Amino acid sequence: MDSEAISLPQDMLPEILRTQPVLTAAIGPGSLDDLVLGAVERKPPRAWYVAIACTSTVMLVGLALMGYTVATGIGVWGNNIPVAWAFDIINFVFWIGIGHAGTLISAILLLFRARWRNAIARFAEAMTIFAVMVAGLFPLLHVGRPWLAFWLFPYPNQRAIWPNFRSPLLWDVFAVSTYFSVSLLFWFMGLVPDLASLRDRTTSKVRKFLYAALSLGWRGSASHWQHFEKAYWIIAGIATGLVLSVHSVVSFDFAVSLVPGWHMTIFPPYFVAGAIFAGFAMVVIVMIVVRTTMNLEHLITMYHLEVMNKIILTCSCLMGYSYCMEAWTAWYSMNQFIHHTFWAYIAGTYAWAGWLTITCNILVPQLLWVRRFRRSFPVMLLVAVAVTIGMWFERFVIIVSSLHQDFLPSSWHIYKPTIVDIGILLGSFGLFFTLVLLFARVLPVIATSETKSALPGSQPHHAGGTHA
Amino acid sequence: MREPVFSVLGIFDSSQQLLDAIPAVKARVSGRLDAYTPYPIHGIDAALGLRKSPIGGMVFVMGLIGAISAVAFELWSEGVDYPLVTGGKPIFSWQAFVPIMFEVTVLFACFTAGLGMLFLLNRLPFFRHPMLHSKSMPLITRDKFALAVEADGKAIDIDVDAIAAALREAGAQTIEVLEQPAPLGLLSPNFLMRVVLGIGITCFVAGYLTYWGVKLFPVTIPIVHMLDQPRLDPEREDSFFKDGFGMRMPVAGTVPMAELPFTITKQEDAAILANPLPRTESVLKKGQKNFNTYCSVCHGALGNGVPSLTAAYGAKPANLASDSIRQLPDGEIYYVIMRGKNAMPSYAADLSEDERWSVVNYVRVLQRALNAKDSDIPQEAQK
Repeated sequence: MDSEAISLPQDMLPEILRTQPVLTAAIGPGSLDDLVLGAVERKPPRAWYVAIACTSTVMLVGLALMGYTVATGIGVWGNNIPVAWAFDIINFVFWIGIGHAGTLISAILLLFRARWRNAIARFAEAMTIFAVMVAGLFPLLHVGRPWLAFWLFPYPNQRAIWPNFRSPLLWDVFAVSTYFSVSLLFWFMGLVPDLASLRDRTTSKVRKFLYAALSLGWRGSASHWQHFEKAYWIIAGIATGLVLSVHSVVSFDFAVSLVPGWHMTIFPPYFVAGAIFAGFAMVVIVMIVVRTTMNLEHLITMYHLEVMNKIILTCSCLMGYSYCMEAWTAWYSMNQFIHHTFWAYIAGTYAWAGWLTITCNILVPQLLWVRRFRRSFPVMLLVAVAVTIGMWFERFVIIVSSLHQDFLPSSWHIYKPTIVDIGILLGSFGLFFTLVLLFARVLPVIATSETKSALPGSQPHHAGGTHA
Repeated sequence: MREPVFSVLGIFDSSQQLLDAIPAVKARVSGRLDAYTPYPIHGIDAALGLRKSPIGGMVFVMGLIGAISAVAFELWSEGVDYPLVTGGKPIFSWQAFVPIMFEVTVLFACFTAGLGMLFLLNRLPFFRHPMLHSKSMPLITRDKFALAVEADGKAIDIDVDAIAAALREAGAQTIEVLEQPAPLGLLSPNFLMRVVLGIGITCFVAGYLTYWGVKLFPVTIPIVHMLDQPRLDPEREDSFFKDGFGMRMPVAGTVPMAELPFTITKQEDAAILANPLPRTESVLKKGQKNFNTYCSVCHGALGNGVPSLTAAYGAKPANLASDSIRQLPDGEIYYVIMRGKNAMPSYAADLSEDERWSVVNYVRVLQRALNAKDSDIPQEAQK
């Protein structure tokens, strides 16, 4: 196997910095197409049907409960003053965070020229879009009358008033809608050449028609590629700033308020690190499933998973630092209300959630220091699931623990979610995974043209030469 | 006769061969050179002599426009059009406008890069290009590389044989001659795009017309807004109750709040009523106000029956300062306000109990003032 292994050209690097082989089998552009694009044309395996049956059932339950909420009112949830934000906002922050890994992989790692990202970028971008779609549902449900949500946008209206541009909640509307539309554009742009490949491969007339329409008549002309690459790099550069801004703006919803436990300057970087952390965990979970069920072991290799595990470990350490900073900020503030809130995190009614967060986010990922564990499927799956649970409960602690005891002790309130809350949370997972499964069925899960351009021997030796 | 030729394609196996062939072919033939590849090839722009992509400048300008328009709009809407002070912040609190400025800049810049690249620079969607009907296209989107010599617009006649020879000598494995495109059928993607565009424009126009229709004819059925709803208009018949009255009479024996029922029916009987109000300044001020409002129109501002209004109509309101009225007890004046007298209607509905008594007190002040003697003037003022 090793003799066939392909390594990226890294002649410039000293030995110790050279990466290990990314792809574990000889793959040419043609066989890549057969592997990735062929998967779209074949009938999906039985496991796919079983999986989508499960996820879509959960999704339908969630959608029905969402419909029940809209028809009845948000009184069917457990939210009550002072815990006015609960599962709805927790789920929103959680799913937005999941999306961040996709943009990080597709934009930031592109700028760093981390070529290993090619194999997972498309999938991660799709996960971004689906996660933001799921996340966007929650503020809509939270407002109670989703059909009036367009009031959030500044449009000239009969009342002659404008939304409050100084409110972090409005910043959120702009940040999330920008994030979604830019991610969708970036994803679609990258898909166009691959859709053209599908158009030229497929034998079914209906599919050919659809892929032809979606690929916009892409023909791979040199000037097209020239503009394409330039635009791709520019969007990657801007999206880097965007992805850092989105969760910062989400954190402003908390940090700009005066609630003890929220009003902290560390919130923006803390939220961004947490988002990438949770997002990578989700990417690892999905990748483990996808590579085995779709026979992509040679493209999404142990190398990818190990690198992602290293990023998870880094983020876990950043989260540990943030938690310590929260404790330090509480102590240094000399403010009895912030002291109280911090004690509520670790010794109050919801202390179990606080310790669950610390266990799942800080302690369990420390396993990944050991190389053997970084390369073991059960361990990385355990860590990824733990991080997903831990990051959800982190938002639970931040929101519910901080709110349930406000400045007025007479209004203190123990929050309990209702069955509708829990059903909608599970339904959001069902919706997300249903979209992921549908995507894996109808579109190429790996950016083939981008991967082809990075295969060994794909580029001329003397790039830039004119032979004149 | 031979069909007009659009281009001649040479297919190469590797990017290296393609790059090497470009200068060789360029030197031998005339015509526009283009390459078709499955992925971007480094160095091909320079070899083909492509101009630098203008996309960077476009993105910069549009990003700047996004930033400026976002801040300008925020300042205008929050500071000029509808000044709104929130949280004690100044009107032009620019710091709070930064996040949205950033997001709008990103939105403008990314959409310029993405859509500008696809739609403006690459002129997509475009389904009529002859390359799309070439037999080589499936190879090109897979793993082969094509160098094309294309007829440049009007110059339809290109020397096919010479080009083919040049391409073959430069290393092309296969040669394909592409003809000018035939018109597309009805169910082509091009047609689909037009249908989608047509539906979009129709929706836009329909939405616009609906908007103005609703605005100009607000009660066009079925858009009736809140004007047409089941409700009871005053003085209207109502079919809900048998007697046809919309409003119900109070139940028998109902007592109004804060007032006792007034059961006296003869003026003389009212003499027993005692005036509950003291003659303080505040009571008299209240009486004056109500007198001027309700009574002075007929009785005159002084209460002497010399009116401002009624003279023209021949009415003869009473002189309140006359002896007969001066001798009436407070209760009887109160009775007249309650029940009316001769042409005078009842003012029971217009004045509360306290207001009526305060008017009675004020009438006493007027009576005293109109019948004053010199001796009433204080000693100091007489000099």
